[in-house]
Amino acid sequence: MDVVFNQLFAGLSMASILLIIALGLAIIYGTMGVINLAHGEFVMLGAYATWALQSFAGLGVLAALPLVFAAVAAVGWVIEKLMVQRLYHRPLDTILATWGIGIILQQAVRLSVGAESRFVKGPELLSGNTEIGALVMSNYRLFVIAFSIFVLVGSWMLMTRTEFGTKLRAVIQNRGISECYGIESKRIYSITFAYGAGLAGIAGALITPLFSTIPTMGTGLVVDAFLVVIVGGLGSLIGAASASVLIGEATALLSAVMNDTLGRIAVLAGIIILIRFRPRGLFPSDTRN
Amino acid sequence: MNSRFYYDLIALAVFCAVIFLGVPALMSYDGFELNTFARYLSLAIVSMALALSWGTAGLLNLGQAATFGMGAYAMAMHLKLKVSDGLPDFMGWNNVEKLPLVWVPFESLSFTLLAGLLVPAAVGGLIAIFMFRARIAGVFVAVITLAFLVAFQLLVIEQQGFTGGQNGLTGLAPLTLAGWTVDTYSVSFYYLVAGCLTVALALGVYISHSKFGLILRAIREDADRTRFFGYNVATYQTVIFCVSAALAGWAGMLYTLVLEFASPTYMGVSFSLAIVIWCAVGGRESVLAAAVGAIIVNLLEGRLSDVFVEGWHMLLGIVFVLVVMFMPRGIYGVIVDVVRRLNEARRGGRQDSAEDALLPATIQTNRER
Repeated sequence: MDVVFNQLFAGLSMASILLIIALGLAIIYGTMGVINLAHGEFVMLGAYATWALQSFAGLGVLAALPLVFAAVAAVGWVIEKLMVQRLYHRPLDTILATWGIGIILQQAVRLSVGAESRFVKGPELLSGNTEIGALVMSNYRLFVIAFSIFVLVGSWMLMTRTEFGTKLRAVIQNRGISECYGIESKRIYSITFAYGAGLAGIAGALITPLFSTIPTMGTGLVVDAFLVVIVGGLGSLIGAASASVLIGEATALLSAVMNDTLGRIAVLAGIIILIRFRPRGLFPSDTRN
Repeated sequence: MNSRFYYDLIALAVFCAVIFLGVPALMSYDGFELNTFARYLSLAIVSMALALSWGTAGLLNLGQAATFGMGAYAMAMHLKLKVSDGLPDFMGWNNVEKLPLVWVPFESLSFTLLAGLLVPAAVGGLIAIFMFRARIAGVFVAVITLAFLVAFQLLVIEQQGFTGGQNGLTGLAPLTLAGWTVDTYSVSFYYLVAGCLTVALALGVYISHSKFGLILRAIREDADRTRFFGYNVATYQTVIFCVSAALAGWAGMLYTLVLEFASPTYMGVSFSLAIVIWCAVGGRESVLAAAVGAIIVNLLEGRLSDVFVEGWHMLLGIVFVLVVMFMPRGIYGVIVDVVRRLNEARRGGRQDSAEDALLPATIQTNRER
C-alpha cells in the first residue's frame, strides 16, 4: 500500500511540472493554433536564467521567479513579433519554424554557457520532507504542486475575469468580428505568446533543483507537454490540468508495475489510442471556426 | 504526357547525369569521398519518401525516422548474423541463451531485403489505417506519428537483448550480394546507392504524375470535396503512407551499409525532424527537389561543421526558419517562380491563363480546420 501512495505522490509531482509547462503551450495553441515546438527551449532558458541569477546575483529560486518570468516572456514577445506573427495562416508550418527557433536557442545557450550540466540549489526554506505514516513527500515537490495549482487558477482568472481575458476569448471565437469591435488581435496574440513563454520560463526555474540543467533538456519536455495539450483538448485549461494529472499518474503507476521505459511506452500507446478516438481531446472547447 | 511531366523527366535525367558522371569525376573516383557522398544519397531517398506523403498528400509524418530505422536494423541484423558464429556477441552479454525467433529468418539475404521494405510498409500501413479511417488530419497526424516514434525508439533501446540497446548493432560483416562482396569504400558501391536513388526517384516522379498522384493532391487541397467525388480518401492516404514507409526502409538499409552500424539515434526525434528540414529546404512538392534538398543540406553540414563545429547547428536553424518563412515551397518554389516569370517576359506580358491554372496551388491553401 505504501508503494502505491508513494507512486501516487510521484505521479502528482510529475503532473504538476507537466502542467506548468503544458499550460503555456495550451494557451498559445488554444489562442492562435500555433504549436510551439520552441516551448521546451523556453523552459531551458528559464532554467539557465535561474542558474545565472543564483550564481552571479546570489538570488534563490523563489526570488528569481518573477525575473525569470519577465525575461523569458520578453524573449517570447520578440520571437512572436519577428516570426510567429507572419505564419498565422499556415499552422502546420509553425511547427517547423518554431522547431528551427528551438535549435537556434539551444545552440545559442550551448555556445555562450557551455554544454556541461549546471546545478541549482533548491531553496533552504523548503528542504526536508513531510512524512505522513510511510508516505514521504519532499517539501519542495509539495511546493511545486501547490504552485502549479496557483498558476492554473491565476491563468483561469486572467482568461475569465479580466478585460484582457475577455478580449482574448473574443479573438479566439472570431478574430474578424473582434477586430471590427476595435480589439487589436495582433497585440492580443503577442501578449498571449509572451505570457505562455513566461509560464515556460517559470516551469524551467521550478525544475532546476529537480533536473540537471543542460542545453538539450527542453526537447524531451516539449514532446510530453505537446501530448498533454492534445489529450486535454484545444486550448482548454481544465483539459490541460486533467490530462497532466492523468498522464503523470499513469506514467508513475505503470512504471511501478512494469519498469520506467515500458511504463512510458504504455502511456504513449494509450495517448495514441486516445487521440484516435477523441481527436479533439478530453475537454474540447466549443468555439466556432 | 503534359509539359510538367516532361520537365520533371529532363530534371531527373540531369540529376542522374550529375550523380553518375559528375560527382565521381569531381571526387576523382576517391573511395572515401564517394562513401561520404553515398551517405547523402541514401538520406536523399528518405527525404524524397517524406515528400511523397507530405508534399503530395499533405500528411506531415514526423515519425519517418521510425520506418527508416526498421530498414536499417533489418540490414544490420543480417550482417550481424553473418559475422557472428550462431549467437551475436551482445546477446551473450545480455544473457540471451538462444537466438531469438525474430532473428532466425534474417540469415537469408532475400528475406532481409524483403523485410527491410515490407516491415516498414506494414507498420506504416497499420498506423495509417488506424489514423485515416478516423479521418485524422493535419496536426494530429504529426502528433500521432511523433508519439509513435518516441515509443518505438524507447522500445528498441529497452529490448537490449534483441536490439543491442543504446549501442545499436556494431561490428557488422560486409554484405555479399550474389557473390559480390560489397566494399563500401569502392566506386561500384557508390553506383549501387546512386542506382537505388534513381529507381526511387523514378518511382516518385511516376506516382506524382499518375492519376493516383493527382487524387492525392486533391486530398491535400480539400479532403472533403475529394470524398464527395466518391474517392475513398483513407485508402489513398494509406497506400501513399505505405509506399513512403517502404522507401524509408530502403534508405535505412543503404544507410546501414554505408555507415557499417545501426544505432537507435536513427530513430531519434531530432533525426526525424532533420528529414523534414531537408524536405522543406529542397521543396516538398517535388520528390526530386526533396532529394536535392537532402544532398545540399548534408553536403553543407559535412563541409561547414568542420569549420564551425558548434555554430553549424545554429546556422542550420537560422536557414531553416528563413526557408519556412520566406520560401515555403523551398528551392523548388523559387525555381518554378523564376521560370514562370521568364516565360511571361518572353511572351511579352501576354498571359496564358490556361497554363497558369495548371500550376500547382501554393502550400498556403493547405490549411487547418
